[in-house]
Amino acid sequence: MTGAPAVEDIVKSEYEHGFTTEIESDTLPPGLDEEVVRAISKRKGEPEFMTEQRLKAYRHWLTMREPEWAAVDYPKIDFQSISYYSAPKRPEDMPKSLDEIDPALLETYNKLGIPIEEQKALAGIAVDAVFDSVSVATTFRATLAEAGVIFCSISEALHEYPELVKPYLGTVVPYTDNFYACLNAAVFSDGTFVYVPKGVRCPMELSTYFRINARNTGQFERTLIVAEAGSYVSYLEGCTAPQRDENQLHAAVVELIAMEDAEIKYSTVQNWYPGDAEGRGGIYNFVTKRGDCRGARSKISWTQVETGSAITWKYPSCILRGDGSIGEFYSVAVTKGRQQADTGTKMIHIGKNTSSTIVSKGISAGEGSQTYRGLVRIGQRAEGARNHTQCDSLLIGDRCAANTVPYIEVKNPSAKMEHEATTSKISDDQLFYCRSRGLTEEDAVSMIVNGFCKEVFNELPMEFAVEAQKLLSISLEGAVG
Amino acid sequence: MNAPLHSGLEHWLSAPDDSPAPDWLLERRRAARARLSARPLPHSKDEAWRYTSLKGLLEQQFTAIDEPLSALQPEDLDTILIPGFDAYRVVLVNGRFAPELSVLGELPAGARVGGLRDWLGHDPESLRGQLDATRGDSETFFALFNTAGLDDGLVVWLARGVMLDRPLELIHLSVGLDEPRVAQPRHLVHLEAGAQATLVERYVSLGESLYCTNAVMEVVLERDAVLKHERLQMESRNAFHLTGFYLVQDENSRYAGVNIGLGARWARTDLNTRFRGEHAECLLQGLYLAGDGQLLDYHLDVEHAVPNCRSEENFKGLLTGQGRAVFDGRVLVSKDAQKSDAAMSNRNLMLSEQAEIDTKPQLEIYADDVKCSHGTTVGQIEPEMLFYLRSRGIDAAQARRMLCLGFAGEIIDRLGDEAMREHVAEAVGQRLA
Repeated sequence: MTGAPAVEDIVKSEYEHGFTTEIESDTLPPGLDEEVVRAISKRKGEPEFMTEQRLKAYRHWLTMREPEWAAVDYPKIDFQSISYYSAPKRPEDMPKSLDEIDPALLETYNKLGIPIEEQKALAGIAVDAVFDSVSVATTFRATLAEAGVIFCSISEALHEYPELVKPYLGTVVPYTDNFYACLNAAVFSDGTFVYVPKGVRCPMELSTYFRINARNTGQFERTLIVAEAGSYVSYLEGCTAPQRDENQLHAAVVELIAMEDAEIKYSTVQNWYPGDAEGRGGIYNFVTKRGDCRGARSKISWTQVETGSAITWKYPSCILRGDGSIGEFYSVAVTKGRQQADTGTKMIHIGKNTSSTIVSKGISAGEGSQTYRGLVRIGQRAEGARNHTQCDSLLIGDRCAANTVPYIEVKNPSAKMEHEATTSKISDDQLFYCRSRGLTEEDAVSMIVNGFCKEVFNELPMEFAVEAQKLLSISLEGAVG
Repeated sequence: MNAPLHSGLEHWLSAPDDSPAPDWLLERRRAARARLSARPLPHSKDEAWRYTSLKGLLEQQFTAIDEPLSALQPEDLDTILIPGFDAYRVVLVNGRFAPELSVLGELPAGARVGGLRDWLGHDPESLRGQLDATRGDSETFFALFNTAGLDDGLVVWLARGVMLDRPLELIHLSVGLDEPRVAQPRHLVHLEAGAQATLVERYVSLGESLYCTNAVMEVVLERDAVLKHERLQMESRNAFHLTGFYLVQDENSRYAGVNIGLGARWARTDLNTRFRGEHAECLLQGLYLAGDGQLLDYHLDVEHAVPNCRSEENFKGLLTGQGRAVFDGRVLVSKDAQKSDAAMSNRNLMLSEQAEIDTKPQLEIYADDVKCSHGTTVGQIEPEMLFYLRSRGIDAAQARRMLCLGFAGEIIDRLGDEAMREHVAEAVGQRLA
């Protein structure tokens, strides 16, 4: 059984969502200096403290060096050739309802098969669509407002609720955290702010669909979710991007804060353009995601399905500060063609009786390269901490690579931690069994792979799980022959 | 003129003496020294030194041993020898081969065992290809130091098909000197096709003195050769211990190693293995017990460079008091090494509040038809187990010891000799008392 011809098929298969919508953009010229940072802040009409914070971050960024430890290989990024701001043309008359939205944008979503109207009706999801850098549509505002939930763009939040944003922004991922987070803190364009008040169970799943659109524009999203004591929120993030030639940098920062007894569920489906057969183009996805379980018994759960991007560098993490808090990480990552992913999680156990679960499934096909890099740290005071980690890799084709690099640091004797990892290929026996029951090879592979990922898909909200399964099947179409 | 060495290590290399060294060796020592001065000191930013600081080692200002120690008598070994353990014996004192303490007797024909210094005196050419034959890219900073200071050690050479009928015991004895000294023995082991041997390497000391051992062992196993190798690191609790172990295996050869680490205040062990021929097998077992003020650091680098080989790494750790241990295991399966089978496991028992374990079992895989796994656990003694024993009238301390010995037993049982197993079990038991 050789995968070679079939692997070529997928590598050659055109990116389904590759198209560019023609919308006039109000874009800053490429380059980055203090003036650009000020200009971004000014254009967004931000309060003074934000401009200062951005400048502080920018000055610190100048002293930092690009990280090189990840097992990814790409040409050096010229940060002066990137444009740091791009907004749809009409920021002054933001649409009040879907009808006011630029029809070209709606059409884009239709092409993606995720029409906002339909979602509104069918899935009951409020969508804060981020088209490039500025939020242009927010639905279900009223329903959410009734429950007291704030769900808006972060620039809007900075205007309307600075008292809610200021004490939290940058407290989970400080600007000094890492190179890309620092860059983000200086130039972030927009993003999402969610605030769930005490005791409120958010009445619907919140969702943002990102699209990177204007050419040559880095996308620097910033998301902040605050769940007050006893509240619950589930947040969905999904992305696709148009086909293009030049590599695009995406350096987002996501901060989650869960107070006492609160729960945040954060799900991602990432399907950005992975580059062509030679690995040209494609998104550089350098994201910092971190959740802080501040209160006792709080819970933060990350679920991600990563099939896109040329390079992924992403470690959604949980700081388990509150006693009895829970962190979870469920991940499916697919690399094919020339894709490279260095991804994993960090679970930092600080509070007593904290527990964390890590389930990571990596699928590597073609010349894809994938690394699971994770840290489980159990501090000296983390009495009764518990961790279970499982990371499995599936290899398809003989030119791919799968690495597992777990770091485990334990300083408390009552801690219990287990880590297991396996690497294997789809066994001939499994394939033979399915084929002898009349399944085509492709269906058999799709079935086996879906079974391999089931543990993670089970954690996704319904609508997302369906989409994720479809995405996985499409991604691996003909991957094994 | 030699470039200066790193601060704290500048006296590790003694002045050239009258030892009979061929030109090619002098040249290699010089080259190693030159590379050393060009190389930065390992730092916590280096992945391989992430959890281990060199600070304590550098502060000691160790100096190389230039004079052999001649005053030891065979009866000085009485406390060192293991009663009932029958073996050919080679003794090195402070890194220098001590023929008067060694008992080799009648070795089988085709088996040559001797001190490296003597060997260089009468048959230097045979070692030319052997020295540095196993290393390559994975050469560590301290292995380079060992080469630069290369002076004495053990050489074992078994001709085709030769089998050693008894284990070969290498006792590396350190005796405290007036000032902190560093010994850098270099051991070379070569088993030709089909040869078989059991090598028991023991690092021990007279008294609890402060010294440093920086040993390097290179092992070449030709096709069908079998080596059983036991390493017992039971240095003085004030000592510093560094080991670089380098193994290459040809077709169908088999290596089974057991590493026991109980001694030293600061120990760093690098085990590097590489398959050069197919269908070879490498088993690495380990047990470490880190107590108050100890840091035991293990680095495994297992390279599957060719198809159809099997490796198994199984390390277990006990941590008491303020003990710290580091386990950093890496299995690399190269592009064409299909049908590789690798299993790595690291399990740890934390027995105190202040202990710390940092473990990092890595898989790096570039072939698809492989079976690789790794597992790690960190935990404590199950209260139910303790309760069970206590309900049968066993006091708490004894019950804990029994459970720990049970945990360690899996590795101790891999030792080939009954007397040796008892010796190690007793040492572990004492430490847990």
